[in-house]
Formats: sequence, C-alpha cells, structure tokens
Amino acid sequence: MATTKPKSLRKIWGQATPYLLILPVVIYYAIFWVRPVIAVIIGSFTDASGIFTLQNFVMVFNDESFFPALYNTAIIVIVSVTIEFIGALFLALLINRKFWGSSIFLFLMLIPMALPAVATGAMWMTGLTAHGWINSLLYYLGFLAEGEKIYWLGGLQQNQLKLLALVIILDAWQVIPSMMIILLAGLQNLSEEAKEAGYVFGGNFITVLRKITIPILQPTIQTAVILRLISAIQIWLIIVLLLGFGRLPVLVERIVYYHEEVPGLDISYQMAAGYTIIVSVIVSLTALLYLRVSGAFKKEETV
Amino acid sequence: MKSKTNKKVIKAAKETVFYLFLTTLIAGMLLPVYFIISLSFLSTREAYQYPLPLVPAIKTDMELGYGERGYLLSVWDRIDKEYQTVLDTADLEKMEYYIKSQLGTKITEEELLIETSRLENSDEESIFFTKPRALLNNYDTFFTVTRDAVPALIRSLQIAGLTILISLSIGGLAGYAFARYIFRGKDTLRFSVLFVRMFPGVAIALPMVFILAEANLYDEPLGLSLIYSVGAIGLTIWITASIFMGIPVSLEEAAQVFGASKFQAFMKVTLPLALPGLAASAMYIFLGAWNETVAAIILTQFKPTFSVVVYQTLLGASGQVNLAAAGGISMAIPAIFFTFFLRKYINRMWGGVKV
Repeated sequence: MATTKPKSLRKIWGQATPYLLILPVVIYYAIFWVRPVIAVIIGSFTDASGIFTLQNFVMVFNDESFFPALYNTAIIVIVSVTIEFIGALFLALLINRKFWGSSIFLFLMLIPMALPAVATGAMWMTGLTAHGWINSLLYYLGFLAEGEKIYWLGGLQQNQLKLLALVIILDAWQVIPSMMIILLAGLQNLSEEAKEAGYVFGGNFITVLRKITIPILQPTIQTAVILRLISAIQIWLIIVLLLGFGRLPVLVERIVYYHEEVPGLDISYQMAAGYTIIVSVIVSLTALLYLRVSGAFKKEETV
Repeated sequence: MKSKTNKKVIKAAKETVFYLFLTTLIAGMLLPVYFIISLSFLSTREAYQYPLPLVPAIKTDMELGYGERGYLLSVWDRIDKEYQTVLDTADLEKMEYYIKSQLGTKITEEELLIETSRLENSDEESIFFTKPRALLNNYDTFFTVTRDAVPALIRSLQIAGLTILISLSIGGLAGYAFARYIFRGKDTLRFSVLFVRMFPGVAIALPMVFILAEANLYDEPLGLSLIYSVGAIGLTIWITASIFMGIPVSLEEAAQVFGASKFQAFMKVTLPLALPGLAASAMYIFLGAWNETVAAIILTQFKPTFSVVVYQTLLGASGQVNLAAAGGISMAIPAIFFTFFLRKYINRMWGGVKV
C-alpha cells in the first residue's frame, strides 16, 4: 500500500506535466487576448450608454464604404494570396536546388521581409510620387520623355483597379519571402528518392512537381497559405501609408478609420467594434473553409 | 572528344543563363531597397529634385561670386549640368549652415573666409572650389536633431529583449509539451496560433490601452512587450515545437537511464542541443517586435519606440524624405543583420510545423 501511493502520485504528476507546461500560455492568453477581445465584443453589441443593441451592425452594413471595403478586401485576398503562393513556391524550388551561391541568394531574397513597415512605407512613398524615383528611373531608361510623368497614386475613384493592382504588387514584394521560408523548410525535408523515382519513371519537371512534390508538401503549403490568408484579409497599413484613409477602403482600414480619424463622433467606437467583429467572423470562416477544403481536418481524424 | 567539349560548352552556357536570370531577379527585388539607401545619402537639395540622381554625389562643386547682398553661392547641378545660384548672403555663418543642411557638405567658417579672401584677391568674377560630401550627414542629423531618436532606440531594444524573454519562456514550455507529450487540447493549442491572429491586432490594441493603464504599464516598454508577446507566443510554440521534435527523445531517455531526473535530462541534454534553434527563434521574435509600428503608435505617448520616431519623421510636419530614409535604414540594419543568421535555421524552425 505504502509503496503504491507515491507511484500513483508520480503517475498523476507525470500526466499533469504537459498541462503544467501549457498553463502559462493559457493564463497569458486569458489576460492579454481574451479580455480585450471580450471588451470589443461587448462594445459591438451595446450602444454608447451600454445597453444591448444590434444597431451597431445595422450602421456598419449601411455605411456606404462597407461594401466597397468588402469587395476590395476580397479582390486583394484572392489575387495576392495566389500570386504570393506561386512566387514563394517558385523561389523556394529555386533555392532548394542548392546551386553555388544559393545561401547568399536566400539571404538577399529575405531582405524585403526584414525591412520595417516604416522603411518600406518611406520607400514606396518616395518612389510613387510624380517626382519619385520610379519615374526618375523610367526617365533615365528612356521610357518617359522629359517633363512626362506617371501619376501612380493619382486618378479619381474610377481608377480603383489600378490602385488595387499597385497594392497587391507592393504587398507581394514584402510578403513572398516569409511565405517562401515555410515552403523551403518543407522542401528541405522532402526525400530526394521520391523525386528521383518520379524522374526514373519518365516524369518531367512539371509532372514530378504536380504528382510528387506538391502532394508531399501539402501540410507545409497549408501552413503557409493559412497564415497568409489570415493576414491578407487584415491588410491596411500599406494602403493608408500610400493613399490615406478612404481612397481605397478595406475592412481593417475602416476599423482604424473610425478609431483614429473620427473619434469625436458619438458612434465611432461602436462602428469600429462592429467592423472588428465582422472582420474576425470573416477571417474565421475563411480560415475554417480553407482548412476544410484543403483537408487539414481529415488528416487529424486518421492520425 | 568533340561531343565532350560540346557538352561542356552547353553546360557553361546553361549556367551563364541561370546566373544571369538570378541576377535579374535579385536586381528586380532589391531595386527599391537600393533607391531608399541612395536616398538616405542624398543631400536635401538633391532629394527633392526630379529626376532624382541615381547615385549620391561624393563631392560638391561650388562657385563663389559677388551678389547683391554679399556673396553669391552657386552649386553644380548634376542633372542640369550647370552651376545654379542658391544663396546670396554676406553672412558666412548662414552660408556654412546652408551648405551643411541643404547640400550635405561640411565646411568651416574659416574655410569659407579663405575662399572669400581668395575671391577678393583675384581679378576673376568668381572662383570655384570643391568639398567632399559628408555622406552620413542625414544619419547624423536624424540622430542629433530628431528629438528622442536615441532614447527611442534604447527603448525599442528593451522592448524587443523583453518580448523575446516573455515569448520564449512561455511559448518554449508549451512548445516542449507539444513536441513530447500527447495531451487533451493539443489541437486547440495548435490552432490557437491561428485564433489569436484572426482578431485584428489594431482592434485589440485599443482596449489594451485601458488594461495597461490599470496595471500602470501604459506608455512603458514592458506594457508594449506584453502586447507583442500575444502574437509572438503563438508562432514561438510552433517553432520551438519544431525544434524540440528535431532532437531525438532517446537522448533524454538515455540520460535518465544514467540516473538523471527528467528535468536534469532536459537541462543537460535537450536544451544545449536546442540552443541554436532557440536563438534563431529569438531573432525571429526580435524582427517582429523591432519592426512593429501600429500598436506602438497607439500605446505610447511620451515614450515612443524607434519605429514611431521614424514614422513621425516620415509623415510629420518637419518630415524630410532623406532624413526619413536615413531613419528607416538605421532601423533596417539590425533586422537585416539578424536575417543573415536566420537563413541557416529555416529548416529547424519551420521543418516540423504543420497546421
């Protein structure tokens, strides 16, 4: 009896270890994440005097920029995640060939990821003005005649597509490297034999990529895409830095707009809270949909 | 014999094309970076010119003549290829200041005095002289004139250090649990990284103002690092789990066979092996905390971070593009430095990460 007791205690202790190890994270999230999130949720369902209402969401849906913001965000997400994935996969495959100098090449390709948002902001702001370095370069290269200028950020409302394209390109420039490192890590763990087998059986580069590399890489691709998807829906900073508020409304830009630009308005906090909840719901649904479609849940069940 | 050399030629040609392609890719990706670096070295006068000079000047050619109010200072314009008059003054102190702030060139009053007397003693209408550019002038000005730049730099380092400490200790424990144990809620924890990111960070920063104020941590480095850790912990769990998975359990078990406790086995065997990977994830956390701007703008008032100071130089009323570029580049240097080391650990950090 006396000998079994410490043994079972030790057993309980052993089973408790993982929970003790994750306890700090749980407490931390409770204080610094759950609390502010609940504060925003409550804010979204109450009016200025703290009484329950759904009016906030009605106001958001009636906001004239809501649907443009939704539309712009959707376009940015669909196009930019696609472009960024293809670019990142291409770079990862290239670097994984381990040519002479690939390590330095990798470092150079990672530089956009390391640059702070203020530095990239300064870079594009000085580049895209009419007398900026992009026009200067085009002038030196002979694409622009003397005195001729391209107004990259100019143009009125009807030119939204141009602005969208611009934002997508600038975003891709900065984001491709961070997506690429995840894919590269996955590629480095890929066994060479599988690929070689593919070539032995007469596959060319494309078929081996499609039938062998990408399927084995699937979990890594999921990780890279889901992280990107979640942050792509929340894009705003580069847009506000380049265009200011309201020129190209996107969902998170609206949150910041109501918080920072119109704080005097009675309903500004409610609007911001309402937008926040809508964004989180959209992000969660998109993430769940992606994970379901890509089969992340199925894999769990079989394990 | 002939086909052998032929093959060699083809191989060499292929390689040349390949490296040409790589160079184009690098040039395309890094062209914008080149321009911001170049801009950070340009003088204020040149930074606002169109077309913008492609490379910073290393010297300033000046011409001194007689003007209506005193001496007429002209400067060689690299774009228009002519001397352009910029200043008409008898006040040499003013001229010295102008040359420093607008032309990014250092010249002392004595040197100006020598040049003016040279002009007076000559029969010419004007004289020419050349001074080397003070290339680091913008950096110098950014750190000395911008109020707060140096204290903000120190604060940013503090914040990044605290964020690393908090997220690596809390996230590392969970990452270890993740790599070594099977427990209930493991999947929830795995997805928590995603949950935390699904709620817009800006939206959380605002209620955090009150929560931090309650704890007297508003406008304090510790307060900001607590916020940064929310995002950083999640990724740290993923990354550290991946690192610990890469170290065989059998090593720990072997140590236990030789009488070490589980804790000792971890400290003496696993931790030293994990150290390089953990250092790499620390650098990764550093990048996030160092570069973050938005929450820092909302959550600081009198104690801004370095990124906020650069942001204000960029968008503030006294903002100057070449100074902002110098600030941005000084901010990017430590980040790029860490990235250089990080590239070796990509596999260890992300190899075991799966949604």
